Amino acid sequence: MERAQAPRQPAWAELAVVTALAAGVLAYLIEARGVSLDPQNLLLLQPTAWLVLGLWVVIAAGCLMRRADPAAPRESAGEVLRVLTMVAAFGLFIAGLERVGYDVAICVFMLAGLLIGGERHPAALLLFPPIFTLAVVHGFRLLIPYPFPTGLL
Amino acid sequence: MIDTAAFAGAVAMLAGSLDAWVWVVPGLLIGLVFGALPGISVSMAMALVLPATLYMEFLPAIIFLTSVYTGAGFGGSIPAVLINIPGTSSAVATTFDGYPMARQGRHNEALGAALFASCIGVLISYLVLLLLVQPMAEVVLRIGPYEMAAIGIWGMVLLGSIGGASVAKGLFAAGLGILFGTVGMNTAGYMRGDMGIPWLLDGIPTIPAMVGLLAASQLFALVNAKFIVEAESERRISLRRILAGGAMVLRSPLTLLRGSAIGVFVGAVPGIGSSIANLLSYGEAKRSAADPSAFGKGDVRGVIAAESANSSSEGGSMATMLALGIPGGGATAILLAAFAMHNVIGGPRFMEQSRDVVYAIILSNFAQAAILVVVGTIFVYGASTIVRLPLRYLIPSVLVVSTMGAFAIEGSIAGPITLFVFAVLGWLLSRYGFPVAAVVVGLLLGRLIETEMLRAWQLAGGDPWYVLNYPWAVAIVALMLVSLALSVRRDIRRRRAVRDAASPG
Repeated sequence: MERAQAPRQPAWAELAVVTALAAGVLAYLIEARGVSLDPQNLLLLQPTAWLVLGLWVVIAAGCLMRRADPAAPRESAGEVLRVLTMVAAFGLFIAGLERVGYDVAICVFMLAGLLIGGERHPAALLLFPPIFTLAVVHGFRLLIPYPFPTGLL
Repeated sequence: MIDTAAFAGAVAMLAGSLDAWVWVVPGLLIGLVFGALPGISVSMAMALVLPATLYMEFLPAIIFLTSVYTGAGFGGSIPAVLINIPGTSSAVATTFDGYPMARQGRHNEALGAALFASCIGVLISYLVLLLLVQPMAEVVLRIGPYEMAAIGIWGMVLLGSIGGASVAKGLFAAGLGILFGTVGMNTAGYMRGDMGIPWLLDGIPTIPAMVGLLAASQLFALVNAKFIVEAESERRISLRRILAGGAMVLRSPLTLLRGSAIGVFVGAVPGIGSSIANLLSYGEAKRSAADPSAFGKGDVRGVIAAESANSSSEGGSMATMLALGIPGGGATAILLAAFAMHNVIGGPRFMEQSRDVVYAIILSNFAQAAILVVVGTIFVYGASTIVRLPLRYLIPSVLVVSTMGAFAIEGSIAGPITLFVFAVLGWLLSRYGFPVAAVVVGLLLGRLIETEMLRAWQLAGGDPWYVLNYPWAVAIVALMLVSLALSVRRDIRRRRAVRDAASPG
């Protein structure tokens, strides 16, 4: 089937992302205007925000008018889930850095990362995370002047 | 132009001093290693070795520091090519084509091209410095806020309008980047978008955001892949192919020379430096190419343009530092600190009274560029083994090292949080065809553009027509508008061609 004749298939996920970003820009513009209407505050910010909001209209219309593309590569639900699991694990790692200490957070995240990536060898899972953690924590202690909280090391 | 007596004195000084040479290779290696580590900037590497220069003679100390500078200038391109992480902000544009080349199994050629473009860029910039140090410095002094703002907007539009699936998406991403760049307190004292978070008053931390947008987002997208280079036969590390990449540089002399010219000029302007030179050069190379659509998909000219510009900006910033005593950025500020540690004051008087030392520094940099070819090739050969590592090990490891690098910049959790937020944003944007690079460029240039526009506004007393007194700024803006119009026209034509091809009959 030719693409021009393909049925309409709005890109809802893309529309949601671009709309959320545009909403953030609008909130930023309102907040900045609330701070002051002085041109020295809005000189670059306001025209850029209006430009982005104008482009949102164009892009959102494109998302709604989108036609199905049978040739486009498709990801399986399992593949998307694996990426989302890695994103979530990384988020938890960042959130845990100051709470459980950089060393513990790194070790746990490395183990989770290996498991998400498909590593199942017990020796690799047991040895690689602690050795890598040890190297990173000691390496960065030598390199950077700031202290960072650790749980064990 | 060249003071021959001083030049002969410089040659004698270098020929008679072993101390001046023994620090070159260690300096280059330190620079390569630190430049290749995400989050460790060129200036940070130089600051770390600065205390070691206290007990050296003046000339060896400066040569050691400039070796670190030269090594780090190229070091940043290694992770940019191999894992899409610009080791330094001056290697951002190297990722645009270097990483796609690596994913196609052409990592050897990409690194070879980056190395040779860097070395030749350094050579050209120091040659310009040798011949034109004084006139260049005088031109730099005439550049005001109007010209600076125009240069910033020019870089923005060049990239924002030509990247991504469409002009609308490119401009949307660039606009987002600029807005991110304006978060925090501006130079007029207004605080916007800080959401009550104290560390956002200084603006969004640029390097963590950049690493998140470019690298971490790509790593998420690679979770389902096994290796960076999918085809096993392409994962080989080949000296012959690294050198073939170097030969590609020689076959693109125009891209190389244009990149070097942009690098020298932009590098000489204080406060702009190599982080913008590589973007401008890339944008210009893409705009002027007969087939701009090849850029961003693994075109070696993109790597050459970016690397020749970022390395040649070193010579440019040295010109301002030596002739005027003004540091163009962090690295030259460290060099000035080293001058002060040895009771030497940089600037016009130093140029007049110690011209032989200035020439010796320049000549030593010629040698550094030549030695970097050898040292860099060996280093690249070792670093390339990364393409043989399974991604299930590489992804969490690189995410952890990037997080620590983000922490290293400010010593607080601000860096890691920024890294995560922008990694997710970058992943979502690239998933839906928005050019993430345009957000990065906006973020880098947004603050600079706003600061310079504010200065210009204050100078003009709010009169927009005052800009007409600055013909160079007007010319740059006019060039920018033409570039934008051409991009829109090309986009419309391409869409029309696709529609015509798709319609029956």
